[in-house]
Amino acid sequence: MSLADVQITLAPSALIANVTGEVDMSNAEEVGATVVGATPNEAQGVILDLSGVDYLDSAGIYVIYGMRASLQARGQVLILVIPPTSPVHDSLRLSGAERPGEVAEAVDEALRMLDGRPFSDS
Amino acid sequence: MTGADTERQHRLSPGAGQVVLVPAEPATESAYERRSSYRLTDPGLSELPLEELLNELLVRVQEALGVDTVAILLLDIESQQLVARAAKGIEEEVEQGVRLPLGQGFAGRIAAERVPIFIADVDHADVLNPILREKGIASLLGVPLIVEGELIGVLHVGSLTPRAFGQDDLAVLQIAAARAAPAIEHARLYAELEHEHGVSMVLQRSLLPKRLVDVVGVSVAARYLPAREEVGGDWYDVFELPRGRVGVVIGDVVGHGIAAAALMGRLRTALHSYAIEGHGAGRTLELVDRFVQSLDESAMATAAYAVFDTYTSSLQYATAGHLPPVVISGSEARVLDVTPAPPLGAFPYGRCPDHELSLESSEMLLLYTDGLVERRGVALTAGIEALATAVRGARTPESACALALRKLVPREGLRDDVAIVALQNAAVPAELHVTLPAEPKALAQVRRILRRWLNERGADEGEIAEMTIAVSEACANAIEHAYAPSPATFELHGRARDGEFTMTVRDRGRWRPPRGHNRGRGLSIIVAAMDDVQIDRTSEGTEVVMRRRIATK
Repeated sequence: MSLADVQITLAPSALIANVTGEVDMSNAEEVGATVVGATPNEAQGVILDLSGVDYLDSAGIYVIYGMRASLQARGQVLILVIPPTSPVHDSLRLSGAERPGEVAEAVDEALRMLDGRPFSDS
Repeated sequence: MTGADTERQHRLSPGAGQVVLVPAEPATESAYERRSSYRLTDPGLSELPLEELLNELLVRVQEALGVDTVAILLLDIESQQLVARAAKGIEEEVEQGVRLPLGQGFAGRIAAERVPIFIADVDHADVLNPILREKGIASLLGVPLIVEGELIGVLHVGSLTPRAFGQDDLAVLQIAAARAAPAIEHARLYAELEHEHGVSMVLQRSLLPKRLVDVVGVSVAARYLPAREEVGGDWYDVFELPRGRVGVVIGDVVGHGIAAAALMGRLRTALHSYAIEGHGAGRTLELVDRFVQSLDESAMATAAYAVFDTYTSSLQYATAGHLPPVVISGSEARVLDVTPAPPLGAFPYGRCPDHELSLESSEMLLLYTDGLVERRGVALTAGIEALATAVRGARTPESACALALRKLVPREGLRDDVAIVALQNAAVPAELHVTLPAEPKALAQVRRILRRWLNERGADEGEIAEMTIAVSEACANAIEHAYAPSPATFELHGRARDGEFTMTVRDRGRWRPPRGHNRGRGLSIIVAAMDDVQIDRTSEGTEVVMRRRIATK
């Protein structure tokens, strides 16, 4: 059985990537490359929906930082969706990392955050 | 045999050198014949497959008559030819695939006229088969093989020295033919059926799992036995699901043969697909029911499906018109309660309610099809109870399957096919000690082993999550250290004592200092998640010892 899955949806202003399963050193880079590779230039940003992620390790956190950097270079933003009870919070907290992007609790909140951004940002 | 006898029989012969023998009526059964015929009519013969049966008959005829050659030719109905099928002393006949026309020559005339024929001197006879002449066979005696008035072949014996076969010899050969013919016919019909059976069988086999899933926390075993005559639509499957869960299913498509086997393949795929989507046991069955309803053909099947959570040992199950599962718990076995639900495809919007239970360490869930417990004249509940009695005390899934089949499959074979699958909650060891390949994909396995072990040792959900990420990070370090020469491994050791967990990860690679943000972050996760961390680097490898106390309940 595959450890994780990525489902990609294009919203008018953003690409929504829904990741489910476990992300660790064995698949983190592929997950990141899949999302960045699928992001069109005209998208304002990427909503990385981690609500279905059961496990995220340091390799996964590192890849999220990398995604933020490569999107930023294209003038795009990264918004993470992490529900309050998600185990992803544990990983981020234990790693002592600052948040690797803006965080929303749900996808619709993330979309509102993106739409509310001043246009000059992009 | 006197000269006068020979003269008389020659007169009866319609061809030069051939003698049609007329046996004395009734055939005299001397002690010698009775002894021979016992050997020739041993009931064990009819149990043999065709080739073995023919071979065994030849040996016994050769022994009884003291002849040099024995051969059996069977009639090929399509070509109306006799085909050499088995021979002793003239094996070339079979090897060369000798085919003889009906009506001509020694064997051809025996078959066409259904009479025994004796040839005293082969040189003068009209023998079409060159092998018989090349071998230097002097005398021949042959009889037709007849079943229910139908000719099926010829049995003949030969002698390398001239031999006047008499009435006693003929009687023995006729007894052999009379007893052998039905057995041959039965075996031949069976072989034909076997072929058809074989086609459905290949399909059936190709649709059942090749290898049962290897998931941390469970051990599984399964068996499929086809019915004596026809392949049915029984199936089973075991598959891994997200979040440490395992799905196990058994089902029975109504009907037999290739169509049932093919539908079974579709149902198996449909169920696996819905299960992976994360639906519970009952809902998964309901979705398969909707799938069956959507098929053009009228199809129906029963199924029992269970989802076992290897982290928490909880088991969720549901059935659709299927017999209740059995749980084996040490020396006891009990039949589980099920809510009656219609078979898949039977009624619109059938409902399959879920049931839950805890499948404790070493306990086993047994799913089976009705072929195992249904016996004519025996109540179904009695059959199920008999199964529960048969399997109690089984310690492994393999032995549970073996016990069930040994005690419940009747000697004469099965009228319906049987599938059985057993899933055991593998015992969690008090101390953890595993060696794994130093590959990134081993990390997922580490976490499955660990979550299960930590849960069993009393850690709560939050503690399990934090310790799991710490140990997984330490293992990721070990995998990074382990570069060539391969294949490399690393070890994980876990011990819980007085509320304190000690986890050790050991590799034989060279320590590499943290590189970039990433590995430094891995180490900070370990330190943050555990109370105490010691890293010991030597030329032999690296050992990371992590300790954490848990809240005692």
